[in-house]
Amino acid sequence: MAFCDLRPVCAADDEKGSSYIIGSVFAVYEIGADQPSVYSWDMIKSVTVTRKDITVQTVGKCHTITNKMFSGEEDILRAIAIIECRQKEYRFGYAHDRRLFPLKSSYIEMSPGKETYIGEDILDEGDTAAAFIMLLNFKLVKILWLVGLMIALVVFGVLHFTIGVTRSNVLYFIPISAAAGAITALIVYLITHAVARGRFKKIADADLAARQNITFVISRKGFAACESCVYESRDLIPWEEMDYFIESDKMFILYKNNVPAAYIPKRAFDKKHIGGIADIIALSLEQR
Amino acid sequence: MGVEKKVDIRTETVDFNGQSAILVSVKDGGCVIGTCSVGNTDRSGSVNSLTRVLYIGNDPVLNLICPNHGNKQSDKLVSFSPGFQGYDKKINDALTNSFNRLNEGESLQSGLRDLMGLLEDGVYTVYYSDYYPTDGNGIFFWGGYNISHEVHGTAEHNRAIGSGTFKPCFLMPTQPMDYYTARTKVSTDEQVKKRTVQGIVYHVTGLYSALLKGHHGAVSCVDNNMPFRCAVIEKIAEPYTDMIYTMPAPTTPPAEEKAGEDAADENAESEETPAAPAEAAPAAEPLIELPFKGITGFRSPSVKIPIEAFPKDMLRSILEGRSEYKPPHFNVIAAKLQTVRRKSVSNNVLPYSVLDRAEQMPDCEMIESAYAIDELTDEQLNCLLAGDVECNGKIIVSPNFYTSIVTACSFLQFKDTKRFVDFSIAILENPELAAAHEYVARRVSSQSDNKKIFDFFESVEKSGDPKYDKFLATAQTFVKRYKNR
Repeated sequence: MAFCDLRPVCAADDEKGSSYIIGSVFAVYEIGADQPSVYSWDMIKSVTVTRKDITVQTVGKCHTITNKMFSGEEDILRAIAIIECRQKEYRFGYAHDRRLFPLKSSYIEMSPGKETYIGEDILDEGDTAAAFIMLLNFKLVKILWLVGLMIALVVFGVLHFTIGVTRSNVLYFIPISAAAGAITALIVYLITHAVARGRFKKIADADLAARQNITFVISRKGFAACESCVYESRDLIPWEEMDYFIESDKMFILYKNNVPAAYIPKRAFDKKHIGGIADIIALSLEQR
Repeated sequence: MGVEKKVDIRTETVDFNGQSAILVSVKDGGCVIGTCSVGNTDRSGSVNSLTRVLYIGNDPVLNLICPNHGNKQSDKLVSFSPGFQGYDKKINDALTNSFNRLNEGESLQSGLRDLMGLLEDGVYTVYYSDYYPTDGNGIFFWGGYNISHEVHGTAEHNRAIGSGTFKPCFLMPTQPMDYYTARTKVSTDEQVKKRTVQGIVYHVTGLYSALLKGHHGAVSCVDNNMPFRCAVIEKIAEPYTDMIYTMPAPTTPPAEEKAGEDAADENAESEETPAAPAEAAPAAEPLIELPFKGITGFRSPSVKIPIEAFPKDMLRSILEGRSEYKPPHFNVIAAKLQTVRRKSVSNNVLPYSVLDRAEQMPDCEMIESAYAIDELTDEQLNCLLAGDVECNGKIIVSPNFYTSIVTACSFLQFKDTKRFVDFSIAILENPELAAAHEYVARRVSSQSDNKKIFDFFESVEKSGDPKYDKFLATAQTFVKRYKNR
């Protein structure tokens, strides 16, 4: 099982005096109780991970562990990784915010093999936002042309009905209509930029991984994009799990079910390795 | 490799539910002996199997391929690791030291102290138990794992035994077969007679433990028909849940209030319904399941310890620990997994008598049935022979008839040979149970010196009756062997 070596995480609620252990079992030391209540993961009904807390629903009781109860971000990430791996095994309900990187339940443990490229970097906000915008542009480019053309025609029509097109003014009306279309397209483009950046910010704020060092691994057998504090050198997502990829000047974006599943920045790797990495990805996935 | 690190070892004897167990907690252990996961692929490249390895020092010793994504109810494919190169002298010394101390009369706790320091962090239980030095299928353990094969009884959760406890009793080697020398056996033949403990074993999976010390002793014990008594180390890490039931609290109202009302009620009821027998009232009260509060405790194969019985620090150590993890030198082990050891040339072969006796020892199915069934009465056996799986409204062994026959045979073979022979012959005589004939004949033919079976098989051979066709070949082989012995 992937991430099977992760050390269990302890979290303490100083106000209530209770503490929690998330590991091979889920244990709760409640205030005043002699013994902890210990739950194996098959007894867990559901887990919800939000940007502020982790809520574990056991039979008849709900335990909320806020981020403040953990001793650091690394502990939170480790706890989430343990929960995701157990979820794969025991199939309890799991709800979470959108992520920048694949869930730990997608990984399997295997030897990466000889031809393996490993890089480490913090996900750059500018680069990732640019990738978001690029992806949005891919979708919007046809619509933008259409909107521009429509606005140009509408403006031309309005001018015709209000002023009336004659031989003398038609040469003025055409550039005016075209400019109106272009300005509208530009405004839409700027709005989408803002929307894309906002969307990235929203995901990045909710995902602790956005502020963590990430280990990126590309090998013939699979890839990994995982917080370095959690990564265990032999955990990979097989290429078969992904559908296709898009390459930008700064990133490889891997897709699953038409949703970006992993952002792999080129700058995390040595420049001389980018060609080899691109080859492996192109051989393993369809490029769009 | 961490052996030099200061290891924190604590020992405690705990009493619970009328039993007691010795618990040993290891903190900052050397990670010299243990098991760990190697990945989700086997040699065929299939990602459906989880591969685990038993390592000693820097060497992979046993490969365990766990099919169905490591499903705990599936038997494993086990083989001696070809990458084994021969472990450190220091480890061998620690094992020898512990072994000698146990034989000098030291307690398990103090005798195994050096060895416990070599293990992974966690809580262990130690005890003495007799082992059958076989692979659980009649083959002497030392040479039984040269080729990767599915070994029955290696599943962590045994379907036949269920959730009960059991003592592992079969062995896996931690030395390659070519380490055996006849010269060493000559000296161990004498030594085993003086020893109180013949080996030290570390539980690996299901009914199987790895023999850390005492390979030649095992050969000598089998050769001299002596029990192979071992000091056993088992890790306690698996949670278990037992449903706890209690009698409902009495809810009878006060006597004076009840008197007047009941008299009228009882009169009314007695007209409508017949009176229930006096004994029926308490029996009808259903047991109440206590409120669910999580798991009951942690277990190893041989012992289930409730949470409240654990010393607080040991419980914390289990909760904050991992059932198994990769040692710091895992990369060295992983690299050796890809290599193949150059074997030394050895003309020494195990004595025939040892191999023969190993074949006569109880096999895995017998041990499973002994844990699965408490008792089989003659009445129950007669029901099975009549083709029923139930006796007096209760399922005898299993709702499946074939499983019932197989388990009953194994159970009788282990517990009572005479009844086993009678039951088997009765099955073989019954043409309606032809589906079980081949299996039963094969099982009963293992009693190679039994006159009653010989007489029966000889009559089968002479009769030429087609109802015996399914096991005629087995009968002929048995008769030939019996005459030539």
